[in-house]
Amino acid sequence: MRVLMLTWEYPPFIVGGLGMACYGLFKALSELGVRIKMLLPTEEEVFFEINNPYEADFPLAKRKDGESLSPTPLKFFNFLYKIPEESVYAELKPFLESVPPEIHKKVEFKEVPEEVIQRLTKILSQNNSLLYKVFLYAQKVVKISQKTSFDLIHAHDWLTYPAGLFLKKIFKKPLIAHLHATEFDRALGFGHPVIHEIEYLGLTYSDCVIAVSNYTKGIALEHYHLPSEKIQVVHNGFIAKEKIVKKIKKFKEPVILFLGRLTPQKGPTIFLEIAKKVLSTGIKARFVIAGAGEMERELMLEAASMGIGTHIMFTGFLSREEVEKALSLADIVVMPSPSEPFGIVALEAMYFENALIISKQSGASEIIENAYKVDFWDVDKMVEIILDLIHHPEKMKSLQKKAKAEVQKFTWDGPAKKVLSLYQRLLKEGSCSS
Amino acid sequence: MLFIIFYFQVHQPFRVSKYSFFDIGSSKSYFDEELNRYVFNKVADRCYLPANEMFKELILRSEGLFKISYSLTGTFLEQAKLYRPEVYKSFLDLWQTGGVELITETYYHSLASIFDLDEFLEQISEHFELMKREFGIEPSVFRNTELIYFDKLSDVLLNFPQIKTILIEGADRILMGDSPLYPRLSYNHAHLLLLKHYKLSDDIAFRFSDRSWSEYPLTAEKYVKWVKDLTLIEREGRNLYLCLFMDYETFGEHQWKESGIFEFMKKTIELLLQEKEIKFLFPSEVHQTLNYTPKGLSVPTPTSWADTERDLSAWLSNSLQWNAMKTVYELLRKAKSKGRSELIPILKKLTTSDHFYYMCIKYFQDGDVHKYFSPYDLPENAYKYYINILTDLEEKLEE
Repeated sequence: MRVLMLTWEYPPFIVGGLGMACYGLFKALSELGVRIKMLLPTEEEVFFEINNPYEADFPLAKRKDGESLSPTPLKFFNFLYKIPEESVYAELKPFLESVPPEIHKKVEFKEVPEEVIQRLTKILSQNNSLLYKVFLYAQKVVKISQKTSFDLIHAHDWLTYPAGLFLKKIFKKPLIAHLHATEFDRALGFGHPVIHEIEYLGLTYSDCVIAVSNYTKGIALEHYHLPSEKIQVVHNGFIAKEKIVKKIKKFKEPVILFLGRLTPQKGPTIFLEIAKKVLSTGIKARFVIAGAGEMERELMLEAASMGIGTHIMFTGFLSREEVEKALSLADIVVMPSPSEPFGIVALEAMYFENALIISKQSGASEIIENAYKVDFWDVDKMVEIILDLIHHPEKMKSLQKKAKAEVQKFTWDGPAKKVLSLYQRLLKEGSCSS
Repeated sequence: MLFIIFYFQVHQPFRVSKYSFFDIGSSKSYFDEELNRYVFNKVADRCYLPANEMFKELILRSEGLFKISYSLTGTFLEQAKLYRPEVYKSFLDLWQTGGVELITETYYHSLASIFDLDEFLEQISEHFELMKREFGIEPSVFRNTELIYFDKLSDVLLNFPQIKTILIEGADRILMGDSPLYPRLSYNHAHLLLLKHYKLSDDIAFRFSDRSWSEYPLTAEKYVKWVKDLTLIEREGRNLYLCLFMDYETFGEHQWKESGIFEFMKKTIELLLQEKEIKFLFPSEVHQTLNYTPKGLSVPTPTSWADTERDLSAWLSNSLQWNAMKTVYELLRKAKSKGRSELIPILKKLTTSDHFYYMCIKYFQDGDVHKYFSPYDLPENAYKYYINILTDLEEKLEE
């Protein structure tokens, strides 16, 4: 099985959970014998091969002729990169026109209509630096894939959907759209109309959709009107490191941690409200807000105005290593996201022996047993739980142990097997509906 | 007669390290030794040493007629001894000319007058002790950090009967049209208040090298004419007092040597010394030269010399600053009550006003000034490092 993987993030190039999810999934798939060619938004025209689990840790960059690129650091698209509109058209059009002649196929895949291609070309050619990058990526992917053989295309999130659709149109290979997050989650409601449109087109004209949770499937059903049988739910897993987790006692008081980007989607203001209420009871605790994001100043000003001295702390951006440090010095992790497709932080928190409070509006809450699941808006409930845990250290300890034990079962093994069987069904039957 | 009173503020803060969340509990130093040493040496070379040299020469040549006054903060003198003993020596030399008066302030250049009056009195006592120890004197003139002043301060300062005179900002909103050239009495008539003439002070301190200023370039002749013109307002023979107060870094650091600031000062002072109706004075000498009883002045809310607002907003306009300041004084009180003498000087260094200045997020032109002075890239980061350090201290206090 040869799969062309399209993704915008892969370690060490990570913004959020997508990169970690891809890493776990690709590694587990390669263990099952799937041969992966991964395409990332690099400036160089290269692809990455993952043929075994080792290569998942250190994917090799190759040029389109298959030659290895010497291990020079790669350049990712920088943010303001822009090229004239004309040249984008010029580059892409020949490929679209020279679609290989129809060959005899066992299975007919739903075609990507010419209008869809035209529409994508049009909306991606707007003066918007991010959309331009999406277009450049698509263009590069089309170019490199010419000399590559593969059985199917697996595209992760909207940034790669246009590339997936172009490839499907040209090479007549089945396309899987993997839904890690939707624009509805990111924007907490309606977001950028162009991104909604790209998500709609990608999901509609793919042959199979994988959603990371029932919660996300629900959003896709409700807002993008997909047929239910087209969407398969595969929950994320977690790669347990070999090394032993060692809890650090950094502070005398219990530590309650928020870990994530400081954006509305992750609910940092809800965390602040919880902190305020807990601290107002006079209890001693430290609330740590770990992560960076556009809301940092607003949150800091708000926290400081509560006059809580040093009891709400901000770490700023964390490296991977620091994320692990933060998780090992915490006692309770709160994930109050108002809309969280999955929330891999929850599994990480469990691995680092934390008591866990997660919002019901998260994918992770569908599979985790040993966590408090609370509606994201129910601040009082979360406050009550935190106070209860702080007052009953044995209870907290036992919950931490249970969480640690439970997380061992969320390996990527199961999810990868599910994905592989979807690949097989798709190639055999032309769809992945069971 | 017009008397000119020069007063220069000499201060350096102990800037904090980039102390991250993960540094809490480690042995990382709270203060950025390297940065503080670098800044001190830079300012020593550009300002302290050449400016001291210039003023020493002017004093000696004037045969006692040219006079200036300074306040040297405790943190400045600590750093001078630590990083550049010749600067310390140079101030001693200058002091020995007899043309210099030293005045007192809070040892740590703090805003204790706003947050903790006990600590405020303690920091003044510490500065008195320092002046006694280093120069063998007991100043009778006080200036609060950045000229912060309000009525109640005068009451509080009654704890130090030796203090007779206070330097304050001649802010428009307290003068309400009156001239800053006439000294005033505090609302309780306990202290003589000398008012900074901010127009003529800032012409030197801020505008001297500003090419977009309509009066650029400022020549000594022009400046002396402005000074002489001031006397026109007085027709009854009352003495006028022109208070030119500024940061000492004006000479060579804020206004670079290349701007001609040193030549300008030399020339200006030479010209002023030739004027029969103009004399230089120490702040403490105002008492004796007054030929009228000053009017009282009420300052119900704090004024200062900072930013265009001339209030406390440079250090206390956002919640980050409030929370940081409130917390450091809380911890300081706690350290005192627990008798943790090893932590007290550290916490006192953290009361220095500069730390809060770096957390300012006011916009418009003053934002640029704050940025110019800040060693940190963002106010948020200045806050983070500061709070992390307080957290570490708080943990230590619990031991």
